[in-house]
Amino acid sequence: MGQEYQVIYEEEIGEIERILNRLVKNSHAKCALLVDKDGHLITRLGFTQSLDTTALAALLAGSFASTKEIARLVGEPEFSVLFHQGKKDHIHVCLAGERSILAVIFDDRTTLGLVRLYAKEISEELATVLASATKKKRDKGTQMDSDFSASLESKLDDIFSEGEPKPTKPSNLNG
Amino acid sequence: MVSINYAFKEIWCKIVFYGPGLSGKTTNLQYVHQKIPPQAKGELISLATDQDRTLFFDFLPVDIGKINGFSIKFQLYTVPGQVYYNATRRLVLRGVDGLVFVADSQRTKMPENIESYQDLLENLEGYEYDLEKLPLVFQYNKRDLSDVCSVEELESTLNPQGLPHFEAVAIQGRGVFDTLKCISKLVLDQAKGKQVVSESEVLVKEMIVDKSKPAPPQSMADLEEAKTPASASLFPETLESLKEKEVDAMGQGKLSIAPEEWSGSPPPSGCQPGHSEEPLSSQPKTETEPSTPEKREGFETQKEEKLSEGFIYDGEEKRQEGGPPPPQAKGSPTIISWSSARQKKEIKPKGFFLWRFLNRLIKR
Repeated sequence: MGQEYQVIYEEEIGEIERILNRLVKNSHAKCALLVDKDGHLITRLGFTQSLDTTALAALLAGSFASTKEIARLVGEPEFSVLFHQGKKDHIHVCLAGERSILAVIFDDRTTLGLVRLYAKEISEELATVLASATKKKRDKGTQMDSDFSASLESKLDDIFSEGEPKPTKPSNLNG
Repeated sequence: MVSINYAFKEIWCKIVFYGPGLSGKTTNLQYVHQKIPPQAKGELISLATDQDRTLFFDFLPVDIGKINGFSIKFQLYTVPGQVYYNATRRLVLRGVDGLVFVADSQRTKMPENIESYQDLLENLEGYEYDLEKLPLVFQYNKRDLSDVCSVEELESTLNPQGLPHFEAVAIQGRGVFDTLKCISKLVLDQAKGKQVVSESEVLVKEMIVDKSKPAPPQSMADLEEAKTPASASLFPETLESLKEKEVDAMGQGKLSIAPEEWSGSPPPSGCQPGHSEEPLSSQPKTETEPSTPEKREGFETQKEEKLSEGFIYDGEEKRQEGGPPPPQAKGSPTIISWSSARQKKEIKPKGFFLWRFLNRLIKR
């Protein structure tokens, strides 16, 4: 498990974003996030500019994982839906496929029922897209060439230094 | 699990700081958060109790920057150290790409270090990780305190396999970045699929290929021959398998430590209290550095002693015949070593127990 990779390509992201866009439009939600169970953000759609989506992804994954453990303790394989109610904003979280979590953030302009209805429908579609993406055998490498290690060391020295951060070396940047 | 997102050109890696309660895992993250440039860090999130003890995890995203067009990002997590939070510790380990084991160097904390390390191995086994490939770095923290164990003691207890280790005083930031740099590099090397092979290891591999191409070493002479100081390199495939065979042959899957050894007042020889006066030496045993002869000597001697005690496959028998007492004391906590955990699934040869039974009958 530890040595597996999760690789997401542009085509899948495009397809996933089309699906999420439909969800956000139809359910009148504020935004939707697709997160993998390890806490990495796959993609997001809607009004997410004001959100720290990286931290949100990690916390959602943690929350979902702890709920799964609670489910196990009460004899359930998994609680597939979570709902957090706030004063203004609410979050609906559900499984999308085996490895991903779909979180929808919405406010009082819509209802839980509507969000739940579309989220369920969309999560099945997302599961199909993610499953087909996993099955595809790609030849693409991660485009890490021989100077990767040198660039990495230089970057690590820059970031993890005790004093003031050193200026970045443009020669090590390829993008 | 390393996540590579081609759409956003991002590579995400998860590094978990593991260790007993109050060993300094959260302090490590706090120091990193304080010191790295603002553009490289996200918010440090701590799910802690009212007493500032980690309840679920601490989380710090770090953006290394772009390399080859990909933005390299690390998610640094800590686990709650207290024993009764094992369920949450296990959850945090999900999808881990690299581990830092933060050990408390204080002599009185040694049983807790051992327990935590054992707990780590058990939790990883639960996720069916390939322990041989999962990067792990040790950090011996709180070196500024008095009555700390020597690095040699810590190494022989927690890290006999010679993985990279660092001395640290996390609260002052000493050793924190060295540890992080090392684990980051190991994780990304792993993600890149690069085989980390040192020059010395290549030499040893060549020797082994030349000398025993058709079969792995079977006799003790072969094992002795294969044991060279170069075995300090990180996860060497060939040497590791030799070590495993050796451990298996010795019939010693577990390394045992009596708690009284650590909590007792007279410190074992080699431990130097008042270590704070001495400058810290962070000497990681990375793949490119040759191993220090003293360290390897200790490791080799330990193994040779076991071998000379006759723990070949009937160690129990020999001990009964007047050999030295077994190292495991009654009621002592046991620790499964990294390498022995890897070969836990291996079983003793068929007929071993029958042979031992018959042997005993004959003796009677």
